[in-house]
Amino acid sequence: MNTETIRVHAESSRQADQSQNRKRTAAKRGTPTLTDRNKRNKQDKLAKRLMLPGIIVTAVITQIPFLGTLFYSFFNWNIMRPDLGMRFNGIGNFVTILEAPEFYTVLENTVILTVASLLICLVLGMFLALLLNRDFFGKGFLRTLIISPFFIMPAVSGVLWKNMIFNPMFGLLAWMFKSVGLPPVDLAANHPLSLVIYIVTWEWTPFFMLVLLAGLQSVPGEIIESSMLDGATRVQQFFHIIIPHLMRYIEVAVFLGLVFILSTFGEIYVATQGGPGYASTNLSYYVFREQIQNSQYGLASAIAVIIVILSVACMTLLFRTLRKQFGGTLA
Amino acid sequence: MKQVWKTGLTVLTYGLAIAYFFPIFLMFITGFKTERDAFHMPPTLFFHPTLVNYENVFNSGIAAFMGNSLIAAFGSTIVSLLLGAPVAYALAIYKPKKGDDIFFWFISTKILPPVGVIIPIYLLFKNLGLLDSLTGLILLYTGMNTPTVVWMMRSFFSDIPYEVIEACQVDGATGLQAVFRVIIPLVKPGLISTGLLCMVFAWNEFFLAVNISYTNSATLPVLVSSFMTSEGLFWAKLSAVSTVAVLPALILGWFTQKQLVRGLTMGAVKG
Repeated sequence: MNTETIRVHAESSRQADQSQNRKRTAAKRGTPTLTDRNKRNKQDKLAKRLMLPGIIVTAVITQIPFLGTLFYSFFNWNIMRPDLGMRFNGIGNFVTILEAPEFYTVLENTVILTVASLLICLVLGMFLALLLNRDFFGKGFLRTLIISPFFIMPAVSGVLWKNMIFNPMFGLLAWMFKSVGLPPVDLAANHPLSLVIYIVTWEWTPFFMLVLLAGLQSVPGEIIESSMLDGATRVQQFFHIIIPHLMRYIEVAVFLGLVFILSTFGEIYVATQGGPGYASTNLSYYVFREQIQNSQYGLASAIAVIIVILSVACMTLLFRTLRKQFGGTLA
Repeated sequence: MKQVWKTGLTVLTYGLAIAYFFPIFLMFITGFKTERDAFHMPPTLFFHPTLVNYENVFNSGIAAFMGNSLIAAFGSTIVSLLLGAPVAYALAIYKPKKGDDIFFWFISTKILPPVGVIIPIYLLFKNLGLLDSLTGLILLYTGMNTPTVVWMMRSFFSDIPYEVIEACQVDGATGLQAVFRVIIPLVKPGLISTGLLCMVFAWNEFFLAVNISYTNSATLPVLVSSFMTSEGLFWAKLSAVSTVAVLPALILGWFTQKQLVRGLTMGAVKG
């Protein structure tokens, strides 16, 4: 099968998608009463009234406090030293942080944790989705088993993995290593970040699987059939038809994964306490350490501001493509 | 040959599914073991189950934490649905000007990590006397869940044909009548699964809980983590606590798995 026909198939798949969407919107818009301007205005007013409470509450709880964080980030303020009070420090806090070597360790940890987890989740999730997208006995039950880790609270996953599986003395893995004659590995002490990655991917792969499975199930059957007639191999089909079709699903999964994995906290708090040293501290945990353990409110605020700037910058990128993908088809 | 290949893949799927679920299963059975049995390696499947861990756990006051979790999760879900569903309805049915912008603004509130706001919230709550109170926790979880409700419900509301709403108006139903008699029954499955998902998120939430609650309003995740630090080597007891803590969310989650994807992929999936 040559690439040209493959491209044609992929293209027609996309067009089929789009025309379906168009039809859906057209059907909704079709009624002439809707175009009536008076009615339009009345509806806009009604919509506004319905939306206002939700918008106000969400803004007040999730957005406005950030202005407070921004404000505190310019002050020197150690809550354990009330005698010193709150002293304006200009950009001093930011300078302190950017000069602290541990900040870069933490930044690196955050990037490694997030990128590695997302990649593993994506690949494993894809693999599981492909496996589950076949007909066999017990399919629904297996999907339920696999999705379960997603609903386990982070604090418990941390406990579970650290104690029962990775405990170097009594854990399951230590026993398995010993029984084949290898020395047990103390992951929490020697590779703390991989322990956290392990836990996070265990929790998030199921979600990726679920989203990708939904995507796989929406691949139009005719296109697969006609590509088969043209002699496409399974692998060609996968890369030229299925993957392009899955792009929007991948984007949603990655976006959601990024939002949650970037602010990973519970797993670290329970499994490694960010240590040893700063080896498994990510940015979220770093703020917690400065605020709770060192009582440096100004400094912690400055880190929070840096986190927000970084994550907003990196997510806006993804968010834009997301919006481009979905903005037009939001029927 | 093809049959062998297929069976092989099925066996592999079974193996992977069991591997994913295994830690949860291990926790579940360890809760019924004595501390001695809990440390036995490899873990034994055949042992004399005991309820002593659960007795201990329930006697040591888990009920208060559970009550807190329940109130915080349930309360915030109700408020979020009351605030978020009208937004989703307005976005889906009336398609107001800038509707897309508003929808994406709601989603974008998720970009701001909770640590970005924790210090002012902590200080504000301290001044308002909301620190370590369930009201405070419900308030924060409402902020966390309202965007989720808008995000998910919009797709369920968009499935209602406009003709249905028009028909209501033609029949002379008032706005409220139309909503309660026609629209809510139509989106009921979506509403329920969205609500359940919000409860799961609030139930499992850890960062905000550990930062603003200590004694009066501490939730189950906070209890579990305190167990971890103070009684880390009592695996059987720890397992019993953890099982009690995860079971409600796990069961709710199982019921929502299908609608979850559909709502979160912005209605791109119907199913």
